[in-house]
Amino acid sequence: MTPQGRHRVRRFLPAVGWLVVCWLVASCSTEPGDRVPVPDRDDGVVKTAAHLRADRRLYDGAPPVIPHPPFGAACIACHHREGVAVPDVGFAPPAPHSSEALAGTMQRCQQCHIFQQTDQPYVGNSFAGLRQDLRSGRRLYDGAPPVLPHQVFMRENCTACHSGAAAREEIRTSHPERPNCQQCHVEQTTTARFELPGG
Amino acid sequence: MPVDRRKTLDRRSFIKMVGAGAPVAAISCRDRDAADRLSDQAGAGDLRPADLTWDKAPCRFCGTGCGVEVGVSQGKVMAVRGDEASPVNRGLLCVKGYHLPAFLYGEDRLTKPQRRHADGRLEEISWDEALNLIAENFQGTLDQHGPEAVAVYGSGQWTVFDGYAALKWVKGGMRSNNLDPNARLCMASAVTGFMTQFGSDEPMGCYEDFEAGDDFVLWGNNMAEMHPVLFSRILEHKRQDPGVRVIDIGTRRTPTSQCADLYVEMQPGSDLALANGILHLLMAQNRLDLGFIQENIVFRRGIEDLETIGYGCFDDQAERYDFKDQASESTLEEMRAFLADYTPSRVAELSGVPEAQIRTLADLYGDSRRGTVSLWCMGVNQHTRGTWMNNLINNLHLLTGKIGRPGNNPLSLTGQPSACGTAREVGTLANRLPADMVVTKEEHRRKAEEIWRLEAGTINPKPGYHAVDMFRAFARGDVKTMWIQTTNPWVSLPNLHRFERRPGDGRFLVVSDIYPTPTTAVADLILPSAAWVEREGMFGNTERRTQHWNQMVPPPGEAKEDAWQFIEVAKRMGMGHLFPWQGDWHQPMFEEYRSFTLGIGKDLASYEQLKSTRGMRWPVVDGKETRYRYAAGHDPYVEKSEGVEFYKAKAYGKKAAVWLRPYHPPAEVPDADYPFWLSTGRVLEHWHTGSMTRRIDQLHQAVPKAYVEINRADALELGIGPGETVRLVSRRGSIDLEAHIDGRGQPPRGSVFVPFFDESLKINELTLDAMDNISKEPDYKKCSVRLERLA
Repeated sequence: MTPQGRHRVRRFLPAVGWLVVCWLVASCSTEPGDRVPVPDRDDGVVKTAAHLRADRRLYDGAPPVIPHPPFGAACIACHHREGVAVPDVGFAPPAPHSSEALAGTMQRCQQCHIFQQTDQPYVGNSFAGLRQDLRSGRRLYDGAPPVLPHQVFMRENCTACHSGAAAREEIRTSHPERPNCQQCHVEQTTTARFELPGG
Repeated sequence: MPVDRRKTLDRRSFIKMVGAGAPVAAISCRDRDAADRLSDQAGAGDLRPADLTWDKAPCRFCGTGCGVEVGVSQGKVMAVRGDEASPVNRGLLCVKGYHLPAFLYGEDRLTKPQRRHADGRLEEISWDEALNLIAENFQGTLDQHGPEAVAVYGSGQWTVFDGYAALKWVKGGMRSNNLDPNARLCMASAVTGFMTQFGSDEPMGCYEDFEAGDDFVLWGNNMAEMHPVLFSRILEHKRQDPGVRVIDIGTRRTPTSQCADLYVEMQPGSDLALANGILHLLMAQNRLDLGFIQENIVFRRGIEDLETIGYGCFDDQAERYDFKDQASESTLEEMRAFLADYTPSRVAELSGVPEAQIRTLADLYGDSRRGTVSLWCMGVNQHTRGTWMNNLINNLHLLTGKIGRPGNNPLSLTGQPSACGTAREVGTLANRLPADMVVTKEEHRRKAEEIWRLEAGTINPKPGYHAVDMFRAFARGDVKTMWIQTTNPWVSLPNLHRFERRPGDGRFLVVSDIYPTPTTAVADLILPSAAWVEREGMFGNTERRTQHWNQMVPPPGEAKEDAWQFIEVAKRMGMGHLFPWQGDWHQPMFEEYRSFTLGIGKDLASYEQLKSTRGMRWPVVDGKETRYRYAAGHDPYVEKSEGVEFYKAKAYGKKAAVWLRPYHPPAEVPDADYPFWLSTGRVLEHWHTGSMTRRIDQLHQAVPKAYVEINRADALELGIGPGETVRLVSRRGSIDLEAHIDGRGQPPRGSVFVPFFDESLKINELTLDAMDNISKEPDYKKCSVRLERLA
């Protein structure tokens, strides 16, 4: 794979962790040569993890809806630490929220994440929300740390998606032992360039 | 969660949703290349968050008043994010808030005025024709039948501008007081509670009580679903201080109960007995703050005779309910005697609450070392004795001196984004004028007439119809011409069948809204309104915080701001002098309104300050907001150096009134024919009648239709399984609903719960139009029904 290819892959936004397990399952059950993208949509287009991530959100920044029916268990029973593979369902990724928030402010997951009972709309809606920025995560030069492609607010637990079993290969950190991610990876709050005052 | 919900998803959808078609996710090099190509395509030309223009606004939905940042590009709202700079929510939202922007873009958005012909057909007409038609109808009715035959019905979702324009036109122009908001169905009992005790509306405390208090007592309040962001603040406080306790007093287990340290289950309506029982124990155990009482309290009692008061829905009262309470002086000693009946054993019998729990509650309110915050919303307000119940909660704080201090306050929560800012502060109620003034007092009318530069005697001194009587009068034909804005009464009124209407009955109904609703379906003229950030606005939230937002996107089609609609009609009726401002009238209109509030402890912040801040809590004096009203060191109007001063209660000598209020039973109680209690309310995902939230796919798909929550034991006895359809029958109507058993809410035996958001399954066809005797707010929480199993 070329360096450019690697960079492109690194541009993916944090993926939904269970995909990794799906991949692992697929790796075990099929020969490498058989692993071809299978259409998931009626129009035959393959969905990447980023597409699946986007499908569960009204726009980039909205919390994802819950992609499984209620199981009667506490959410945190599966969506904790490194996540859990749930037979016949998929991989339950850990929550990206800080452990303090999960014990306090965000104790009630269903304040923001809701189950879906139907896929029928009430009436049509033409809202075209902000899409995921798939160009982000770029580096200044090869070897420089990539900037953060998304907001950190309420996603303070970087390891939830970027290390451990839940982390997809292309967003998995090579250095999980370093605890302060934002020492080197910074959030982008503007696309404007610096301009000299009055200039 | 009920297992039966799974049934509603077919296998294919389910597999699609969980992505269990595992090979899709297979990540080989070839996959990656394919994925990469797709990503590049998707990324090309896409906007980044930083490319949008972001501006602040309060959320459109509930009374919490969360701050959001609204991301706009090319005239469209594309995203919102929780505003980290907002002191209300500090960046967090609930699921409605996160899905907020899509409510503007439902494909059936109203974009043109439409007139209904005799055959029911709708015809698009121009704004000019529409406005002329309205002006002609209002003027014609005024000429022929007088100001009692016109009416305007608005809501706590009106911006300050909309409410003020309505008030000035109706009261200062048409000389009618038939102006009432749906806040009458929602907050009116809290208003009359505060007014009767403190001489001024709205809470003394603020959201900072959530971090300052030790015990949070929720009276009939499912805060986890209805005020989720505020509940999060309590949960966070509890995490940091495990000594914090949450007490959930209710008639049904809810998600709030799951987070509570103590769940106190009471019989519907028995909160009156329970609160008096707590007061009885506090008094018997000498746990009242006598020093505070001596300095700050007077005692009053009102009419207590059940026969005289009634419920506003039976016999003569079924057409018009105008009961007036009469105050007489009372004393602490009289209160002691009055409370003698409310012994723990009798209260336990009336309420079903075990004596031990009643004693626990008394210990909690009586513990002077712990801060106590009482919270309530519809459970207490939508109550046939809602004002009394508000009085009793306030009494608990007044008699223990737990008021006006951080972490010690009765804090009434509001349901609508500007129930406080517009309905209560602007005073768009049948008896009110801005800033706590009423039409029945000459000096208040004079002040309004002076500010409005109107001739003395212009404002009508007789209060108009309160909401329910307004619709009764419209059904009778006493009100001939009516204009409804920003609300959906043909879903939200109680006992809906009695208000059924067919256009062409000789009356004229105008409805302004953003989507078709059952209310626009019975309108003679439908007007398209601009919503939220499609126009400039201001809302006032629960904690007295006024929040301003700018217009950020143009409204769709020909939709127009509600206030503009009033102003244009007023001009066509020769009342243009009420709105003399040239060009953009928002700022001068606000400045005029603000002049009502200055110097009397209701002072609103300046227009400039509101534009540049995340809202300010009134009274705002010298640019500084007030966190705790009536509290020395906090409220600039308090002259004392310490303690509290209830300076707005001039009639009581700057003291607060403690009212002796007895227990009265609910208007309709279960019997052999209708053996179940019916309570109604909201769900987290939907707001009010669902006309906005149902048009957001994610919210609709989470709760697509109304249902009935039934206790498992009752369901077993009746042979009703989860997901089965059952018929709910009251004396007023019946509907068929899907049974939910052990769902998110769990009613106790003998009671059921139904949410009211679903316009095709209108539970309000079953509810009773019984009302609070003082506030005239209907009781949506208590009537009786039977369940019929369908074959």
